[in-house]
Amino acid sequence: MHWHRPYLFIVFLIASVYVSSPILRAQTEPPVYKKRYVMGTVFEVVVYGLPTDHASAAIDKALDEAVRLDHVMSNYKDDSDLSRMNRTAHFQSTEIPLDLYRVIEESLPYSRLSNGRFDISVGPLVDLWKAAIRGGPMPTVEEEARARYCVGYQKIELIPPNRIEFHSDCMRLDLGSIGKGYAVDRMAEILRAQGVRSAYINAGGSTMYGIGTPPGKKGWAVHLRDPSNNLNPEVMLMDNSVSTSEQTADSALGGESPGHIVLPTSGKPLRTKYAVNVVARLATESDALSTTLLLVGPENGALMIKGRKDVAAMWISTDGERTVADNGVQIFWENRAGVQTDGKIAGTKISGSPNQK
Amino acid sequence: MNRMKLRNVLRSLILGGLLVPQLASAMVFLRISGSELPAVQDMGVKNLVFAWPISDVSAVRKVQAQGYQIFFEASTGDLSAAAENAEKMNIAGVILAIDNVDGPGDNELFRLVTAAHPRLSFLLLNPGGKEPQMRGRLVVERNGILQVSSPTSQPWVDTNLALVKLARAFRPDVIPLYSFHWDLSDALRNKLGPAVEDYCLAISEANAFHADVILDLHEKLQQGLVRKESSAWAVWNNVKRYIAFEQSESAASKLRPVANTAFVMDTVAPSYEGLNLMARHNIPFVVLRPGDLEQELLETFDTLVVFSAPDSAVIALVDNFAKHGGIVVLVNLHGEFPWHSLEPAHKDKQETAYNVGAGQVVELAEPVIDPEAFSRDLRRLMGFQRTTLGLWNSLTSVAIADRQDSKDETIVNLVNYALEAEPVQVQIKGHFSSIRYESPDEGCCQHLTPVQRGPFTEFVIPALFVRGRVHLSR
Repeated sequence: MHWHRPYLFIVFLIASVYVSSPILRAQTEPPVYKKRYVMGTVFEVVVYGLPTDHASAAIDKALDEAVRLDHVMSNYKDDSDLSRMNRTAHFQSTEIPLDLYRVIEESLPYSRLSNGRFDISVGPLVDLWKAAIRGGPMPTVEEEARARYCVGYQKIELIPPNRIEFHSDCMRLDLGSIGKGYAVDRMAEILRAQGVRSAYINAGGSTMYGIGTPPGKKGWAVHLRDPSNNLNPEVMLMDNSVSTSEQTADSALGGESPGHIVLPTSGKPLRTKYAVNVVARLATESDALSTTLLLVGPENGALMIKGRKDVAAMWISTDGERTVADNGVQIFWENRAGVQTDGKIAGTKISGSPNQK
Repeated sequence: MNRMKLRNVLRSLILGGLLVPQLASAMVFLRISGSELPAVQDMGVKNLVFAWPISDVSAVRKVQAQGYQIFFEASTGDLSAAAENAEKMNIAGVILAIDNVDGPGDNELFRLVTAAHPRLSFLLLNPGGKEPQMRGRLVVERNGILQVSSPTSQPWVDTNLALVKLARAFRPDVIPLYSFHWDLSDALRNKLGPAVEDYCLAISEANAFHADVILDLHEKLQQGLVRKESSAWAVWNNVKRYIAFEQSESAASKLRPVANTAFVMDTVAPSYEGLNLMARHNIPFVVLRPGDLEQELLETFDTLVVFSAPDSAVIALVDNFAKHGGIVVLVNLHGEFPWHSLEPAHKDKQETAYNVGAGQVVELAEPVIDPEAFSRDLRRLMGFQRTTLGLWNSLTSVAIADRQDSKDETIVNLVNYALEAEPVQVQIKGHFSSIRYESPDEGCCQHLTPVQRGPFTEFVIPALFVRGRVHLSR
């Protein structure tokens, strides 16, 4: 078969437009999806608009970064940088990796903001109650007092550029309430650097981040956690993040059933009827704020984030009571009868759910 | 021996899957496309499954001539025809795909057909098998719509353990066999086929649970093997290593499950997801039918979870079980029970709890709505001391323990669905001084250090990738 020059030119033209047009590519390339077990949960990434091999390699790099950060921040791994620091930084200045330094530094403002209700030094208390969650005996008053003595963000001293010292002999940090968000932000940076313009990152359902928009849509519509199952709230993500926090559900068998989120100021598992969803520009912020705002409750929480740009928070109770502080972020509500209380944009729908933070 | 004694001995013997030890198994069957396959000895698997009716008899003949053992997979309606043709074609056997794990099936037909073809092997394929995997939450489709799989805070593991346990309870005389099709809805996976780890996981899971499995050999891999592509053989040699590991555990090994929780049920439906969650949470359990219950058997358990309406004999056994310190949970079963004469220790709209003798009876007013919360609650109710097996640092691993009396060993089989090597801390009831660990990747055997803690022995597996097996002896 002979190809005439004009046809060749047209084929070349179409190919050039296709290659250079991300919109066309986004609509024709199949999405590439990958998942990996990291930080005790499943991290998932879906990328649109890139050739399969390119997208696959970009996702691998992003997931590799999450794995690397898990080795830095894990409190389950004995050989993680965090575990090493937790063993050695008592009353002595200790060098730590820059990522660890940064995430600790980023957590401290939330502790100050919440008067210690959010506190990454809550580790000893969390460990104490973990056994009870698994069916072990409830901690004694003495054990609780001993663990509380080890808690207090004020005893953490960061020494720039990369050193830390605990002014306590038993302090142990736990980054479970901020680490996933930090990892998601680094993953988003990597994906962007790889040329990804449309992607979605899900860190175990509790922190999600949307890069750009899905093909043909105005945003990543995220269906948020609603313990009342009646309000059906959604947000539309575009280069921002949403995180959800909620205390472990009560036991169906009655009796005492401690949850996994412990209030450092009381030393006991938090009792609350709310789930909190927080939208923010960065995942580190939404992740840390969701726990903070759950711990402080809707009244104080709404005041706390007043005026914070691009941040929205929603407290929804099991009985359908809701408190919203939106700061300009649009939240959509729809009850089960289908009555919408706000304008709704068609988008890609994803659910949020609490994670064990 | 008087008649009563004889009756008791016989009853003990027919308590299938419990007092009668189970056979370990490791049979892998393959479904292929077309008729081209490498030699049997190169593949390391000799059982092939063809769906009945056969679309291409010459394909069957061809692989049969290579020495493969062929099985026809038939539905109940096709069983007679499949068996007759299998006999004529000198086929190894017929696999009957049954409709329900707990259903009676067409037992009479099955009995007649098996009796008419004594030369053939007959196997039962249980429905409901699923691809073992650590599942994500997002479902991605080409048109850009993403939906949610299921809200959960912990990784969701799709495991076939509950299916195997049920199959063993309802058909105790046969080794459970299941199958699934690879999920190829993802563009990348559709293009490349399942990864080597996916095959390894499926094989590992079946063997760890003492079951047989039928796997689809992806067309791309099959073609690569036939063409002698090095990448395809790199994959398959890894798979063969896993198959060889599974076959290293003698299929004739007789094992007794180590479990102190029994689920009593006469149908699967209301409790399946609950069982699934028990499996994922590593609560060792067995499934019993109400007719299986008897005093001697109940003495081996600490906890009974009853899903099926008990008759007066079962009520008496359960009452006695609680009086002697057992925990009984009745799920959505309403009626008059002996313990109702006692004052409830706790009562709300969801549950009523009674302290009965040295034990406890908890009546749940409704079916299990949240299996996650139910399994967590059950572990809490059982308490730390009653836990026979526990894993730490591993939300994606499933472990089952068995006793092998002939070797005076306890064997813990572990499967990690995350396909990422991770350290796993294991706690098992009993005192063991020797702990040997083997895996397909590192061979046999690494000696692990036991730590005695109260009534338990603890040890750490340094890196569980997909599959591990631990031998514990005193």
